[in-house]
Amino acid sequence: MIGALRAEALKLRRSLVMLVLAVPPVMIAILSVLVRLSGNGPPDWTVYAMSTAAIWAYFLLPMTATGMTALLAQLEHSNGMWSHILAVRTPKWKIFTAKGVMAALLMAVASLGVWTAIFISGHLANALTPADALAGDPGYLAAALLLAKMYLASLLLVAIQLTIALRFSSFALPVSVGIGGTFVAVAATSSKYGVYFPWLLPINMLASEATRAELALWIGGLGGGVMLIALVLWLSGRDWR
Amino acid sequence: MAVSFPGFPTRGTALVGGMDNFAIQTSRLTRRFGEVAAVNNLDLEVPAGSVCGFLGPNGAGKTTTIRMLLGLIRPDAGEISIFGHDIRHARALALASTGSLVETPAHYPNLTGTENLDITRHLLGLPKVAVSRALDLVDLAQAAHRKVSGYSLGMRQRLGLARALIDTPKLLILDEPTNGLDPAGIHDMRNLIREAPARFGATVLVSSHLLSEIEQIADRMALMHRGHLLFQGSTQSLHDAHPGGLAITVDRPSEASSLLQANGIAAALTDGQILIPGLHEAASIAAFNTRLVEAGFAVSGLRTVRPSLEDLFMKLTADDVTVPQGGAS
Repeated sequence: MIGALRAEALKLRRSLVMLVLAVPPVMIAILSVLVRLSGNGPPDWTVYAMSTAAIWAYFLLPMTATGMTALLAQLEHSNGMWSHILAVRTPKWKIFTAKGVMAALLMAVASLGVWTAIFISGHLANALTPADALAGDPGYLAAALLLAKMYLASLLLVAIQLTIALRFSSFALPVSVGIGGTFVAVAATSSKYGVYFPWLLPINMLASEATRAELALWIGGLGGGVMLIALVLWLSGRDWR
Repeated sequence: MAVSFPGFPTRGTALVGGMDNFAIQTSRLTRRFGEVAAVNNLDLEVPAGSVCGFLGPNGAGKTTTIRMLLGLIRPDAGEISIFGHDIRHARALALASTGSLVETPAHYPNLTGTENLDITRHLLGLPKVAVSRALDLVDLAQAAHRKVSGYSLGMRQRLGLARALIDTPKLLILDEPTNGLDPAGIHDMRNLIREAPARFGATVLVSSHLLSEIEQIADRMALMHRGHLLFQGSTQSLHDAHPGGLAITVDRPSEASSLLQANGIAAALTDGQILIPGLHEAASIAAFNTRLVEAGFAVSGLRTVRPSLEDLFMKLTADDVTVPQGGAS
């Protein structure tokens, strides 16, 4: 399994996947600094961290998951690599498990990048506009906990996107599903069933009702794990032409 | 289609367990795509240590067969044994000593040649030296640290072969390995394949459309058409089944042909020449010449003809006939 993971990690070298992961933190940092410079920034660190995390959970997280999983799968699809990768003696389930684990790890890296961007941009804006500096304690741990919950809640949508991306050689299909899911999520926010919609699960971590956040965490985390196992079993057993 | 080789079991014999005389053995292997049987009741046998040319026109079922051999697609019926291991129940064992190059060589263009092989090395749990050794084998060491996106098609093909060779396989399954290679590359590849049994102790199943290439490197043939196996056996036995004959150039071919037929000789008139099938011996040829000259014909040419592999391929696939098989070596 370690060998399969090392192989997956090596494939990422000089690939676009790493660029996709770099986009959200950079965008968040630039956006946050610009908002603060315009004088419309939040009053304190808590509101600042939550509003920035909301942008991440609503739009950037699902789009990052979409782009990252699609590119991860395209590494094999676009070059016809399946015929080689799946024809070696390594069990197929290890190869697909490594893909799933790598997708989950990359989302964790992206979340860590967002956490870093929140505080770098916050401190930078404070230095640029000392008169409007954010009040209170930066709350590093609270922000990390929030982003960690969003990450866990996102695992179901990551698993769904990865399944579609691995199953179909088309790049457009998983991207269309990802964009569609993200926009439907906006409309479904107010729905009482929105808590079950995979693309909305991360944003539910900001819900005022604790039960809603808890339910979303369970559905996203546990559902993501179950979905990843199902993905591995299904893809390992099917034909690869 | 049963093929009898002395000392080897034929169809119906249990495949798994103690069958290590065959590198590859399939029994009634069948795969359908909808209504079409891409591979139909295939009994393929590739003895260990041989170089077997896998021939057939497009759509014959070669690639489907290769994909089933490698466990990429599942058969609808039948069994596959690689060195005595059933591919469905002991896939890891069956593929443990198998290297393959399927269709176009696939690589990660963002990585160097070494990094591409490192991926396979990690998957197979091999030491680092396996990569440099494989690159040396295909003469690609100088380009090892260049990104594959800058490789020529021939270099990609050689890198694909290096990947197939990385674990010193006992069985090499190669699909069109000379595609994209320049004449020098084809020469090197041909030598590598031909020497594989002696050099690595490897059995080779090589599919190709270049019949002349196969004729030069393979000691066995398996010929498929429309999902069926038309022939398998030694190259010599294929030629023996289609021996050619004596072509006679004479001034009045119709009359000469009639004379020979009147004497009970199966002479055929083709392209202004008389062809007598199966006649190769020098004494018989001289006797024919004498008889024709004595009968008043001016004989200007006597030539023994042997059909090339291409001739046989075209004939067999056009007729869709099964020829007697054999020639276990």
